[in-house]
Amino acid sequence: MSDKNGNSSNSPKTSDLDDLEQRLEDAKQRHAPEVEYENDNSLLGMAWRISTELVVAVLVGCALGYGIDYFAGTGPWFIILGLVLGLAAGLRNTFRLVLEMEAEEKKRLEKQGKS
Amino acid sequence: MANDPMKQFEIAPIVEGPQLGPIDTTFTNSSLWMFIAVFGVIILFGLATGRKLIPGRLQSLGEICYEFIADMVKDTTGPEAMKFFPFVFTIFFFILFANLLGMNPWAFTTTSHLAVTAALSFFVVGMVFVMGIVKNGLRFFKIFAPSGLPFIMYFLIVPIEIISFIARPVALSVRLFANMMAGHVMLKVFAIFIAWLISLGGVYWAAAIVPVIGTTAIVALEFLVAALQAFVFAILTCVYLNDVYHVDH
Repeated sequence: MSDKNGNSSNSPKTSDLDDLEQRLEDAKQRHAPEVEYENDNSLLGMAWRISTELVVAVLVGCALGYGIDYFAGTGPWFIILGLVLGLAAGLRNTFRLVLEMEAEEKKRLEKQGKS
Repeated sequence: MANDPMKQFEIAPIVEGPQLGPIDTTFTNSSLWMFIAVFGVIILFGLATGRKLIPGRLQSLGEICYEFIADMVKDTTGPEAMKFFPFVFTIFFFILFANLLGMNPWAFTTTSHLAVTAALSFFVVGMVFVMGIVKNGLRFFKIFAPSGLPFIMYFLIVPIEIISFIARPVALSVRLFANMMAGHVMLKVFAIFIAWLISLGGVYWAAAIVPVIGTTAIVALEFLVAALQAFVFAILTCVYLNDVYHVDH
């Protein structure tokens, strides 16, 4: 900011603008906590994503297994396999999401560290 | 007084239409509110689209909306996915308007029906599937089989990936529908509680203040949920679109 002010001392007009900019910047800083809020929101969204994905994957696995059993008449075996695979798929999705979240968090922290 | 909390989700025909094969073309209250949502979006952005260099209030609103969705698409999928920007924009604002309109008294919440949300989400995932094949050909099926695994593992991974792919539209639709329906039922139950306490009279009359506070809080929460679920739907659309452009991730 200091060299900007140094430049602007040549003409009074830009000095006014710079002054305004400085004050705007200050005002923005004072009302900064919006970042927290936004982050909070996407966390709530994340929670919804993880919980539904975990449950629905199991249901879909079971439904597929039940479908195969129903049409092929292979007893309870495919529904059991579907249940296990569904659980695995749900956990895998959750795991992937958490990894994604961690990567984003890291990026955000790095950005904050820079600014 | 309608004191059945599920009554608000009843479909009522407005104009009877002919039966076209399996399709019932009756115009219902649900269709009416869908139309209102669509026209609401069209009118808002019709008014908000300006070309002034220094935007007025409405134009600022339009620009903020544009940037919000554009950033979402660019951040989650990448700049090459901006072709799908109109689609994501439409989906987001349709759901947002449907959710928020549903918060009005006497309004019908179209998104509280699984049929509506399932149609939306199956369309999204179906589009990802078709576009993925159009863009990548058979290479698209690599999303079911990530490379660099021992051969035996594919017998396990491929079914798991297929299940999680099928789970996507189901999760997407169930989340939106369950959120909207649960919230509206909760609101109604709390509101009925107020009427019930007041009708008991005496000391109970004063106790009605508790559900009044509760209902007010839930209304605020529901507005948050309405916006949040539209956001989640849109961002997941972007996440799924990722598969069209980045087959090996």
